[in-house]
Amino acid sequence: MRIPILKLHNYLLISIQTELDDKTAIQFQEDLLNKIHETWATGVVIDLTSVEIVDSYIAKILGDVVSMSDLMGAKVVLTGIQPAVAMTLIDLGIHLKDVPTALDLEQGLIKLRQELEE
Amino acid sequence: MMSKHFQSCIPIQKEWDIVAARQQGRDIAKKIGFGSVDQARIATAISELARNIYLYANKGQICFDYLEDMEHKGIKILALDEGPGISDISKVMEDGYTTSGGLGAGLPGIKRLMDHFDIDSEEGKGTEVIIEKWLR
Amino acid sequence: MDKLLREIVLENSDQIVKKWLEEIERKQVRAYSASISEELFESTNREFVNVIFSSVEKEGMLEDLHNFSERLIQLGWPLSYLTEGMQAFRRVTVNFILERSEEVDSKQFAEILESVDQWIDPIVNFLVTEYSGNWENTLSIQRMALQELSAPLIPVMEGITVMPLVGTIDTERAKLIMENLLDGVIKHNAEVVLIDITGVPVVDTMVAHHIIQAAEAVRLIGASCILVGIRPEIAQTIVNLGIDLSNFPTKSSLQKGFRSALEITGRRVVDVGKEDDIEDILDSLGKE
Repeated sequence: MRIPILKLHNYLLISIQTELDDKTAIQFQEDLLNKIHETWATGVVIDLTSVEIVDSYIAKILGDVVSMSDLMGAKVVLTGIQPAVAMTLIDLGIHLKDVPTALDLEQGLIKLRQELEE
Repeated sequence: MMSKHFQSCIPIQKEWDIVAARQQGRDIAKKIGFGSVDQARIATAISELARNIYLYANKGQICFDYLEDMEHKGIKILALDEGPGISDISKVMEDGYTTSGGLGAGLPGIKRLMDHFDIDSEEGKGTEVIIEKWLR
Repeated sequence: MDKLLREIVLENSDQIVKKWLEEIERKQVRAYSASISEELFESTNREFVNVIFSSVEKEGMLEDLHNFSERLIQLGWPLSYLTEGMQAFRRVTVNFILERSEEVDSKQFAEILESVDQWIDPIVNFLVTEYSGNWENTLSIQRMALQELSAPLIPVMEGITVMPLVGTIDTERAKLIMENLLDGVIKHNAEVVLIDITGVPVVDTMVAHHIIQAAEAVRLIGASCILVGIRPEIAQTIVNLGIDLSNFPTKSSLQKGFRSALEITGRRVVDVGKEDDIEDILDSLGKE
């Protein structure tokens, strides 16, 4: 089961609707990087509103996606992280400090523009 | 064998079992009455434990049980494996220690998510972790 | 309770009571009851001793005792009044019985002591349980009240919210505050949260840790925090304890924090030309 990636001008938009298992997450990482390569996208918004559980491994994969995309010239913003997920990650000591975040898709696009202007 | 005292167990052998275990844990937590935040904490703790089993021991199981005393209800989870075991438990309980090279939240993180945490391990024999969370 | 002992006690209740009252006076049990009138003290003593005796008669029926202790708790009598009273009662009773016996060998002595203990100890245990049960109840009510004090997030303006923190922040409260904070950010679509700690009396390493964790969680879900209300003492404590707030914008007052929040959300305060109005008024006066 692959996570669909939508294109909007220079941006790629992803809304993760399912419980993320390891395989799906790794596949997603690969798909996204390929898509960035194909489309020359400069910005990516990954919305996690429907994701209820993020453990340390998935958090690492998401963090890596941000770094890898950056290397390929695209900025990534994570949006919609749920309170339960945020609190769990903080308890685990995972802060994802280098990952830009925003409340929702709208704010995410605004943030992307800010990031790209810098 | 400890697991006989537990209500239900899920074997951890394939990668997908990690998801099965945490979903089961989440369902049980919901049934007991835990709120969404605690459900996430419990499910994530189980995911971490199951992943440890999958990565280091190849085979093991996650068992669940209901806790109940005079005033409170709770959930009890056992993570059991016959893997290589841990030689120095105190080192593993140090914050920041990780062997898999990843973010590896590790055992101290799991401890912070729950109310009780107990670990028993013998090199060459295996590891047993018991975690509990009580409904406030 | 031993039948013989019971008879002796009931027959001689008057004497025992008299001795007990003397003992109470002697031991200055009223040291802590300085605010209580002599009459009230005496009448409560009498009631107390009656209740004790009725427990002998009724062979351990504790209802009278329960009612009595409940009233004392409500009126604020200290537990020590009851326990010292019971201890005095034990002494008086044992002495009384021993004086009555011509010869007492060690076996009988032991039996008498045991008999009296079996009578007195359950009463003491009962009273202590009543009192501590009451304390625990009060504590839990207070704890709930304190938790309800956890302020919800207050939306001040589009995208800007304030969370005033009041009182001490222990681990349990911190979790609740974090939940409120995060739920509120999403509910009000907040871009900036001003966490006001003016009402937090003590900021030690643990409290700072909790506030920092809360701010990190807010950042994760996509908003930002500004810490305001930092009093001079707090600033000193934070630096002295070596707490690192470098990732955390801070301002001394809510007003200053609010201006920062406006900047972050792309706005600023503009005066609506009141000065011009005054000039107009002055002009119009001049023309008359």
